[in-house]
Amino acid sequence: MSDEYENKSGYQAQSSETIHAQSSEAITGGGSGITPDMDYVRPAELPEQDLYHPHSFIEKWVFCQDAKVIGVQYFLTAVFTGVVGLILSWLMRLQLGFPGLAGFITAEHYYQFVTMHGMIMVVYFLTALFLGGFGNYLIPLMVGARDMVFPYVNMLSFWMFFVAVVVLMASFFVPGGPTGAGWTLYPPQTILEGTPGHGWGILLMLISLSLFVIGFTMGGLNYMITILQARTRGMTLMRMPLTVWGIFTATVLAMLAFPALLVSSIMMTLDKLLGTSFFMPTILKAGEVLEYGGGSPILFQHLFWFFGHPEVYIVALPAFGIVSDLISVHARKNIFGYRMMVWAIVGIGALSFFVWAHHMYVSGMNPWFGFFFASTTLIIAVPTAMKVYNWILTLWRGNIRINTVMLWCLGFIVTFVNGGITGIFLGNVSVDVPLSDTYFVVAHFHMVMGIAPLMVIMGAIYHWFPLVAGKMLDEKLGKWHFWITFLGAYSIYFPMHYLGFIGVPRRYYEMYDSPYMTSGVGLNEFISTAAFIVGAAQLFLVFNIIKTMKTGKKAEQNPWKANSLEWYTSTVPPEHGNFGDRLPVVHRWPYDYNVPGAEQDYLPQTAAPSEVAHTEVEKT
Amino acid sequence: MSDPKIEGFELEKGFKGMAQDTGSDQTMFKGVHWGKAMMWIFLLSDTFVFSCFLIAYMKGRASTPEEWPNPSEVFALDAFGVPVPLLLIALMTFVLITSSGTMALAVKYGYERNRKMCGYLILATALGGLTFVGMQAYEWSKLIHEGVRPWENPFGAAQFGSFFFMITGFHGTHVSIGVIFLFIYCYKVFAGHYDEGKRGWFTKMKGDYVEVEILGLYWHFVDLVWVFIFAFFYLW
Amino acid sequence: MEDSNKKEQSGSTHKIGIYLWIWGLLFVLSFFSYLVDWYQFQGMLRWSLILFFMFLKAGLIMAFFMHLYWERYALVNVLLWPMTAIVCFICLMIAEGKYTLFSRLFYFFVGG
Repeated sequence: MSDEYENKSGYQAQSSETIHAQSSEAITGGGSGITPDMDYVRPAELPEQDLYHPHSFIEKWVFCQDAKVIGVQYFLTAVFTGVVGLILSWLMRLQLGFPGLAGFITAEHYYQFVTMHGMIMVVYFLTALFLGGFGNYLIPLMVGARDMVFPYVNMLSFWMFFVAVVVLMASFFVPGGPTGAGWTLYPPQTILEGTPGHGWGILLMLISLSLFVIGFTMGGLNYMITILQARTRGMTLMRMPLTVWGIFTATVLAMLAFPALLVSSIMMTLDKLLGTSFFMPTILKAGEVLEYGGGSPILFQHLFWFFGHPEVYIVALPAFGIVSDLISVHARKNIFGYRMMVWAIVGIGALSFFVWAHHMYVSGMNPWFGFFFASTTLIIAVPTAMKVYNWILTLWRGNIRINTVMLWCLGFIVTFVNGGITGIFLGNVSVDVPLSDTYFVVAHFHMVMGIAPLMVIMGAIYHWFPLVAGKMLDEKLGKWHFWITFLGAYSIYFPMHYLGFIGVPRRYYEMYDSPYMTSGVGLNEFISTAAFIVGAAQLFLVFNIIKTMKTGKKAEQNPWKANSLEWYTSTVPPEHGNFGDRLPVVHRWPYDYNVPGAEQDYLPQTAAPSEVAHTEVEKT
Repeated sequence: MSDPKIEGFELEKGFKGMAQDTGSDQTMFKGVHWGKAMMWIFLLSDTFVFSCFLIAYMKGRASTPEEWPNPSEVFALDAFGVPVPLLLIALMTFVLITSSGTMALAVKYGYERNRKMCGYLILATALGGLTFVGMQAYEWSKLIHEGVRPWENPFGAAQFGSFFFMITGFHGTHVSIGVIFLFIYCYKVFAGHYDEGKRGWFTKMKGDYVEVEILGLYWHFVDLVWVFIFAFFYLW
Repeated sequence: MEDSNKKEQSGSTHKIGIYLWIWGLLFVLSFFSYLVDWYQFQGMLRWSLILFFMFLKAGLIMAFFMHLYWERYALVNVLLWPMTAIVCFICLMIAEGKYTLFSRLFYFFVGG
């Protein structure tokens, strides 16, 4: 039995024996003539984690406990749902741009597409991709851990997510089809007759969401405890890459916000199944009073947005973190204001729990709430703007390499600033009221939490593909991919602001002969055409990956000359256990680029102070 | 409880200690077992679940124009022919607090590696939890017998029944899950799994008495939630 | 994993008396909050008594049964600060509940 758990290096966890320090000079060799003290790093507090190594194909690739494999599993599942969401958006644009051209899209279908597109993209695609995909892959590598702290629970987390996706996809095939209530699922219409999918569709949606929350809780506990309790020697919180900070804060938000979603799902399920009236007011239908009565629809909105607004930042914060790292690496410059960036992330996370009702200005809530929520909403713009300044100041006078990764980062900054500014419009009550439920809102949130995080995801794929697969993606194809996606995305969403200003309402199946459409018809056709092109342009990435896997050039150990720990694994791609015999010892933050006096333009996090004693490196 | 000491790390009191913890490398909570930290964070998340339930209840109750039933009459029980308000609830509270106390002692004896005492106390806790679930089942059946349903009740606002069954049901589910785990842990303690550090059945992690404390945290949390439910449902 | 230093740990547990004390206190407090109902106090007095006993009981369970009193300050802060979001949610929902009741009475019963 015991040989199953043997560590490669043979240092098995010894119980009842104090762990003695290997002082770091024993590892790095120490510098001659320099005081050995300067390389001191506190001894290891914990014994080595004992890992369960897989014995069969199924344990290695299916029910796998290695966070890296789980990350890839999450990634692929999320991308699958994302492709479904993309196809749904194509169908929607087909109807909007060329009404009646595709006769099979009825109004009911259109509502179902809108709903499923929204829910899939926000929850099952972006959240799962950032936290489940990038989180699982990068957290243990970046903090210098051998694996997540609870590998078994981590595996369960993925499979719970997988079941949630299966349940969600099953709702396409049940009688009545998926729910068509809009992704916010506002009662009372969600579960009443007349809404498409008011039977099985909504039920499966609610079950799927509950499963997702349970699965995510298991994963989220892993991410949090790994970051808090399993860092390597010398890795303080303020030496972690911003990617880890972004994912960590997003996980905290998720752990505290998903409960509200779980509660509202349970209550609505009871409303649907048992006929309770938590959210259902007295309703008169065709002259008859329904059995429901006395409930409060606005309560659902509060619960939903108490989850929904942090959810926006659950998607945005990992993107903020990742893009900071990418910019720093590819501009060969330290991130400007690292501590400010960390506190901005934490501050945005904390504030995001106090702004939720700015989604509800026209809902009929207590009118005084407008003051409170408009104020908090505008306050949250401050740390966000700080981050944008810091990205730009990082780029300023940097040694910028205009490669594909950097292009995606620049694209992110532009789209994010654009979406952020329209956010300030919508955060003010008096401006929001006329713009509510118009295409302006659609343009705003697609810019800020659709396109912007997607740009980061693409950049991250080009950046970390050499680590995961060991081969470099093709630059030329990547640039084509970027430019078509970037210009195309702008062609889609920029005109939508105009549509919103002339008052075109969102979620409408067709505009018929309304006065909006005199100037909007041509624009809608243009937007739809751009949407088809952008969607198809993603095939560049697919083709690029296939081509690279077949004929691409092999990646060297650290192709981007980055500092953070994930590039300093024993093998590329990293094996189970990540770091070979010895865990790395960290001496500095991951942003020491172009340090005056250093031989190379980068100092890995593991470089001991004595090795770089003659440089002008600052203590971090 | 007392976490293992870290060599060369003296924790200062108050905010200074907090700054020490957050500013240091490797771990933020020095010496705190991974599983224990996980359970705390999970309980924080679960607190938000119950808070959302109770907030929804508060909002629902505050905004209904109909008469809200008087809990002290609804939950009264006849003892020797005299209606005593909240008698059953008082007994349930008594049982749950007792089981919480035995659990606290079980954790203490677990850390002292007193296998027998620890096991018997966990068993007592599990039996207490089982009694609680049984009493709750009795309470539910009594209310259902009187005509209270999730969608209606004869005493007033329909939301009373909805919220009551949902929230006590969710709490009861927590208790039931806890009872199942208590029995499992009781077996593991008596079998000596924690003394010899036997691997878990699924997780393959080494067993340790700290797991008793982790389960204890969960059990006390269930008790804690009951304190709030008791105050908001039965007394208000 | 962290199974080192087990030996040093034994003996450093708390005395049994403290648990029994807290146990007794919890019974007494529960009894008091039961008396609030027994004597049918109403209005603000009932409210404040219920909340007072509730928070006292919750505090005792957290502090001593869950050992939060002996835990490091970092953990205590991590656990308690997120509660501000809940407090904010509660306060706003009190206002919202009153407003919903007001609008129901105003539009449905008074007639607008």
